[in-house]
Amino acid sequence: MYLWENMPFFLVIGSLIGAFGMAFFARWKREWCPYLTILSVAFSFVLSCILAYRVAGGEIVHYYAGGWRPPWGIEMMIDELGSMMLVLLSGSFLLIAIYCVKAIPREIPPSVSGWYYTCFLLTLSAMMGMVATNDFFNIFVMVEVTGIGACALVAAKGEKLSTEAALRYLILSSTGAAFLLFAIAFAYQLTGNLNMTYVAAELAKIKDQYPVIVWVMISFFTIGLGLKAALFPLHLWLPDAHSSAPSPSSAVLSGLVVKVYIVTIMRVYFMVFGFDIFTGTHMRTLILIMASMAILFGSFFAFAQVNLKRRLAYSTVAQIGYIFLGFGLGTVWGITAAMLHIIIHAFMKVCLFLSAGAIYYQTGKKKVTQLTGLGYQMPVTMVAFTIASLSMIGIPLFGGFISKYGIALGSLEAGNPYFIALIVLSGLLNAAYYLPIIWQAYFVSGPKIQLKMDAIPFSMLLPIIVTAAGVIYMGIFPGGALTFLGKVVTRFLL
Amino acid sequence: MAIEFSKLILNYPYFISVIIFSLGCLCILTQHNLLKKVMGINIMQSGIFLFYIAVGNIKGGIAPIYDPSLPEATLYINPLTSTLILTGIVVGFSVTAFALALIVKLYNFYGTIHAPDIIRMRSLG
Repeated sequence: MYLWENMPFFLVIGSLIGAFGMAFFARWKREWCPYLTILSVAFSFVLSCILAYRVAGGEIVHYYAGGWRPPWGIEMMIDELGSMMLVLLSGSFLLIAIYCVKAIPREIPPSVSGWYYTCFLLTLSAMMGMVATNDFFNIFVMVEVTGIGACALVAAKGEKLSTEAALRYLILSSTGAAFLLFAIAFAYQLTGNLNMTYVAAELAKIKDQYPVIVWVMISFFTIGLGLKAALFPLHLWLPDAHSSAPSPSSAVLSGLVVKVYIVTIMRVYFMVFGFDIFTGTHMRTLILIMASMAILFGSFFAFAQVNLKRRLAYSTVAQIGYIFLGFGLGTVWGITAAMLHIIIHAFMKVCLFLSAGAIYYQTGKKKVTQLTGLGYQMPVTMVAFTIASLSMIGIPLFGGFISKYGIALGSLEAGNPYFIALIVLSGLLNAAYYLPIIWQAYFVSGPKIQLKMDAIPFSMLLPIIVTAAGVIYMGIFPGGALTFLGKVVTRFLL
Repeated sequence: MAIEFSKLILNYPYFISVIIFSLGCLCILTQHNLLKKVMGINIMQSGIFLFYIAVGNIKGGIAPIYDPSLPEATLYINPLTSTLILTGIVVGFSVTAFALALIVKLYNFYGTIHAPDIIRMRSLG
């Protein structure tokens, strides 16, 4: 009963305790760390699933820290979007933690491998806190903790390139957090509340009285969270950080960390400001322009990369553009498809980055031109890679098709059919940089072709298989997720 | 416009904090020295902290401790913003410490903390 009532609290604090526990075990029993991490993440995953089950039953879970009710106390609120993100985060972290057991000793020095798990769990805890909380200042703190944890995940490798990328990431992300803090100061000054529900209620009453402050506030939120989420002109830190990090970190950063900020910015736009201010301040137009540029330039830059992980990182820039485009359209289909793309892109990117890590683990190859005949050396990994790539391109029966189709429907609903041309063009560009890899792996072969089984441990193969299966599942049965998310979208557009 | 200007003079703490914030932002964007960039982050955060304190302050207010001997109409300042800033300072401290640690590591690799030099060295090999 006690656990049932305080579940959101235990969700966040559980992995936080795990994080500090890892710091202790790092000195004492380093070889236990991976398994204890899996245990801690599995605990979060079970709690998230129970919460999602409660939310699916029609309940919106509220938790008041210390029993203090809002507007004075800190409130945690888990709605459909929040519970979906919680399950996605803890589930993906569980898979990546299983992958870490064998991959981490290869990629980072043994002296820091215990601390790596501290940062891993710290990032998970802060991200779950960010999607679960309903309090502005909590969001700021969680944003900063996620930023520090994510930078540490990049820097863990200890090489020249990753240290530099981590520093650039840290400087830009704390600049973004500063803008976010200033925006929260404006919100507090204008409304006298930090609880998002109360800020929204006050803002609806006084928005016509203070048009300039509302405009400054929404721009600061956009700059702050946009920097963190790597929206196109603000993406400069992303390719270096995501490509120089160890593979499990790349999967975490590319698949999940940027998504959390997108969920936060969506909640700020639609639940705090409301659709009227979002359109009235022309922020929606700006988001649409930036998202279109992200889709085009992200794909172009990805096309020019030779390093496999850099190519995947630039592809993330383009895919973030899709999500921003979806909710920037502001229609039911657009927002639903954007949320769905958050899930599907997480599956695809985690699968792709883990496969890239597996390829490096077995063959030591990093460049896309070296992957000749790999389909016969690592059949399972390459099949998963192919599934995720085809989904990126948007072939039917794969997950990516559903969300792209949804965004196209959304642009028709919004009366802006030009975006369909953009989506088609970007699909072709995606094909241009993913298909050569697959072509090389299967159809260009060396002197003799011999089909062998992958020479990587099963614990690394399992997450790749599960995420690839997830991509196909979302492509064939998207109905459940769509109805689940539909409820929150109707509340957004109220 | 005249009214706007007098508002600016009256609310000078806000104005000053915004200037400090902008200076910090400029420092991050224009300085090539990595240490100065980190200082820029700190200056930026100081501007925000001042803004928060100014939001919570009331002219003639006293510390928010209830004293029955004071008259009913006594003004108390808002303690919440100061508490928030306490958290903000701790967060800023940890970011600074982490950034400085990374800068030390970069200095060991490259022998310089001048950002364009580091980029040039990296592109050479």
